[in-house]
Amino acid sequence: MATAGGAAPPAMDDKARRTRDLLASFYNTDPSAAAAAAPSPARPSPTAASASPLDSINSTSFDPDIYMNVLVQQSNLEGLLQRHVKMAAEIKNLDTDLQMLVYENYNKFISATDTIKRMKTNIVGMEANMEQLLSKITSVQSRSDTVNTSLFDKRENIEKLHRTRNLLRKVQFIYDLPTRLNKCIKTEAYADAVRFFTGAKPIFEAYGDTSFQDCKKASEEAINLVMQHLQAKLYSDSEPIEARAEAVVLLKQLNFPVDNLKSNLLEKLEDCLLNFQNDPTQASIGDISKTFRAYLIIFPDSEKRLIELAQALFSNRYETVRENLRKRIPSIDLLAMLRSLWEDSTSIDEVIPEAALPAFSLETTRDIIRQHIATAFLHLQNEISDVLVRTPSTSNEKLEESQLQTAMETSKIKVLQGCIDLLQEFHRLIDGNTELLVKLRDLIIDWVQEGFQDFFQKLDGHFHMLSGRSKSFSQESSGMESVQIDKVSTALVLMLAQLCVFIEQTAIPKVTEELASSFSGGGTHSYEYGPPFVPGEICRLYRSSGENFLHHYINMKTQKISKLLNKRFTTPVWIKHKEPREVNMFVDLLLLEFNGVVSEVKQILPGLIRRHRHSDSTGSTTSSRSNPMREDMLNRSNTHRSRSQFLENHLAKLFEQKMEIFTKVEYTQESVISAVLKLCLKSLQEFVRLQTFNRSGFQQIQLDMEFLKSSLKEFVDDEAAISFLLKEVNNAAHERCLDPIPLEPPILDKLINAKLAKIKDQSPNMQ
Amino acid sequence: MQGGSSGIVYGGLKYQARCIADVRADAGSTTFLAGTLSLKEENEVHLIRLSPAESELICDGLFYHPNEIWDLKSCPFDHRVFSTVYTSGESYGASVWKIPELYGQSNSPQLQQLFTLDEHTGKIRCVLWWPLGKHDKLISIDDRNIFLWNIDASNKSAKVISQGSADMLPNLRGGAWDPHNHNSVATITDSSLNCWDLRSMKKSNAIEHAHFRDVDYNPKKQHIFATAEDEFGIRLWDLRMLKYPLKNLPGHSHWTWTVRHNPEHDQLILSAGTDSTVNLWFAKVGTDESGPESPSGSPTREQEPLLNSYTDYEDSIYGIAWSSHDPSLFASLSYDGRVVLESVKPYLQRK
Repeated sequence: MATAGGAAPPAMDDKARRTRDLLASFYNTDPSAAAAAAPSPARPSPTAASASPLDSINSTSFDPDIYMNVLVQQSNLEGLLQRHVKMAAEIKNLDTDLQMLVYENYNKFISATDTIKRMKTNIVGMEANMEQLLSKITSVQSRSDTVNTSLFDKRENIEKLHRTRNLLRKVQFIYDLPTRLNKCIKTEAYADAVRFFTGAKPIFEAYGDTSFQDCKKASEEAINLVMQHLQAKLYSDSEPIEARAEAVVLLKQLNFPVDNLKSNLLEKLEDCLLNFQNDPTQASIGDISKTFRAYLIIFPDSEKRLIELAQALFSNRYETVRENLRKRIPSIDLLAMLRSLWEDSTSIDEVIPEAALPAFSLETTRDIIRQHIATAFLHLQNEISDVLVRTPSTSNEKLEESQLQTAMETSKIKVLQGCIDLLQEFHRLIDGNTELLVKLRDLIIDWVQEGFQDFFQKLDGHFHMLSGRSKSFSQESSGMESVQIDKVSTALVLMLAQLCVFIEQTAIPKVTEELASSFSGGGTHSYEYGPPFVPGEICRLYRSSGENFLHHYINMKTQKISKLLNKRFTTPVWIKHKEPREVNMFVDLLLLEFNGVVSEVKQILPGLIRRHRHSDSTGSTTSSRSNPMREDMLNRSNTHRSRSQFLENHLAKLFEQKMEIFTKVEYTQESVISAVLKLCLKSLQEFVRLQTFNRSGFQQIQLDMEFLKSSLKEFVDDEAAISFLLKEVNNAAHERCLDPIPLEPPILDKLINAKLAKIKDQSPNMQ
Repeated sequence: MQGGSSGIVYGGLKYQARCIADVRADAGSTTFLAGTLSLKEENEVHLIRLSPAESELICDGLFYHPNEIWDLKSCPFDHRVFSTVYTSGESYGASVWKIPELYGQSNSPQLQQLFTLDEHTGKIRCVLWWPLGKHDKLISIDDRNIFLWNIDASNKSAKVISQGSADMLPNLRGGAWDPHNHNSVATITDSSLNCWDLRSMKKSNAIEHAHFRDVDYNPKKQHIFATAEDEFGIRLWDLRMLKYPLKNLPGHSHWTWTVRHNPEHDQLILSAGTDSTVNLWFAKVGTDESGPESPSGSPTREQEPLLNSYTDYEDSIYGIAWSSHDPSLFASLSYDGRVVLESVKPYLQRK
């Protein structure tokens, strides 16, 4: 085949391949393989194979009849002939190839037979050798067995001996253990001791009750000693921390209840901290922080507990500070406390930063300072209010000389000094250069400013409350309060008025100045409306409050007098009045009220030094200032009074005097007294206008007014206005009288002098 | 002459006077009635009319009244009818009068007395007409009692329907008839304000501990009324919540004598006092305000409710009256007998 392939020229390539394929199919018994192999050459033109059966001559599906038909149909004779020749040649070639193959196979068969023959001869001697080998191996095995059995006993002995030796060594170790432990104790090699003991421990556990009893006891004693030593070591603060930590580890190995130890130690620490809290001089924070550090190393798992402890310590201490705050400690002390706490917290923080103590401290300090400022203001407010409330209630109606004055001065001083003291206190707060305060400085400034703003506003509200005239008619002012309004001392209202003026004119500028000099800056809150303390606003507030209070005072006084007058004028039947015999009692009451007003006003309000005049020096019924024409008119009988005169008279006097009756009230004695007087006299006039008098009634009024005229000169300098108003009353009575014939001047004089004499008799001390 | 601080002055009253009343029933012009208070002279009732040119006040009629007049009210539905309360010596009286027809402009014709309210024994304080229109009832108040009368103008008669007594209270001083409720009347005393139900003649709610001088109902808003008091000046109240006032206005330097709501613009309140001033206030009450207000203007007004103070008077003012014909006008009467007509137009425009 190889020769045929090799001999075949390239032109015959197609043919050779066909041959090879045929051969392959011949040798290959597997038909599928042959089928697989066979189509492969036909694969390049599988369609052509079916299309031209001429080419499928080599395929398995070769149909000679179709082939012949096709061939005959397709080819001409010449082609057929050619095909015939070619096919004949091919057949011949195939025959030769076949022949050659047969020969080749035959040769191979012969050589194989030869080889088998040779093998048969070679194998004959081998079996004897094998048998020999087998016998030899059997003998070796038997011998080895003998040796083995002979040596077996000895080996067991050796092993037993070895075990015993080990046991003995262990026993020896155990017997030696106490001494060894003691030795270790002596050299303080506790770690070794513990190691030895833990090694021996299982044995003791197993045989402790029998042979090793003494030994166990001894070693346990030793180990107990070790434990004691270790505990001592742990508890002793002088030992280095590492040693103590090691001791703990060792104790833990000895199954010693370390947790108990830990809790004991921590309790000890707690006690220590408690002591420190109660009496900070006993221990220093350095020691505590050292202890903390030590414990942290000794008991690494105790950190949480330690943090708790530290936090508890500080929160307790801050609580103490807070309690102190209630006692109103001075800023400097508070500051010292806070500073030491801050330092302590930073030092503890170095040990356990997880506790976040500085943050906590800062927070708490801020709160405390804020509270401190707030309480300081509250205290000041309460003090001022105490001063105000206490004094007038004690003086009450007695009106001891200068008592109100002192109260006024006290409250003034209280306000000013209080504010200045507060400022100084707060100044100390921001004066320090500690880290803590630097952080808080701006905040403190803001708080102080805010505090003052708030303080003054609250104080104003408080004043209003004290005056019984709540600014807003809020729900709180119930019917109860309206009753209380009557009880509010008029002196208090006047004091409040004056105090408002004082605050506006003196205290606030002072505070503003102080704030500007030492509390500038701040503004961390970035206020939209400028700095938190707005003196202008406060001044306005107090100015209006002061005016309110002053008016309220005057109002209260005039109300009171008005009630008196009301009673006086509505009770009697004026039209049936009897002839006047003396000055009516109500004049006394009126004068008493006026005296009360004067006394209060004189003590509280500033004023020019009043001219002292004595009532006994004036007995005359006429004033030099009085208009003779009007006097004339009064003394004339009414019968011929003309309307024009009436109008002219009214127009004239009202035009000249009107403006003086209701003038703006100022914060002076004169202004307030004359305001009260004028309002009362005006009320008097109005009351008179509502009545109708007979002659005697008119005369009574005339007499009363005449007496008042002389008495009132004592109270005010604005004589013109007073005498004008008195005349107005007289005029009103004149108008409202059916038969207005005035008293004869001599009788008037007589009655007035009688009254004066009576007053003199009743109170000889009074001038 | 009109506007500003200088009002139109009517100097026709020759004597002191306390009472002036708007003639509400006269729809054609601004008319007032004023009565004098003279103990010894013959008293007069003046019918004062604003001239069509609104430049002067004309005396439209002058009638003699037998006694001095302490209270004068015009009938709200008949412009020729009015009531007076008067004293002669000790005795008090109250009458309803009719103005005679004035064809020939006869000088001082006699008033026609329709009937007298003569059940009273004490000091009569005032007579009240129901303010808004025709109503056949009349109320009169003396210092102890309140009487409800049934009136019949054509028969010239009046009969007492019912009577209520305020035994426990000190002197009644006056009162006001609720324009929103026929059956409700507020009375005032020296120390309290009471509301009466006219059906049962029982007092209902009250404000205590205040010296009231006048009371006036808000003509537009029910339950709201204003009081003039000695201690607190002017206060506005809600009838349903008498515990706390709605608003507090300072009032006057001396007594605030009287207070009146404007008949149209109920935020405008007029008050007069014995300090010879008339004050015009702006006081908003409630939430149902008509007309938006500029936010910039409101705070200042909140702070300063006093719109204007009319000070051009020479004596105490006891009488003020809004004109119902032209609500921007009001007349004030000072004790010396001067009637001044002022206009509040500038403040209305500002509002």
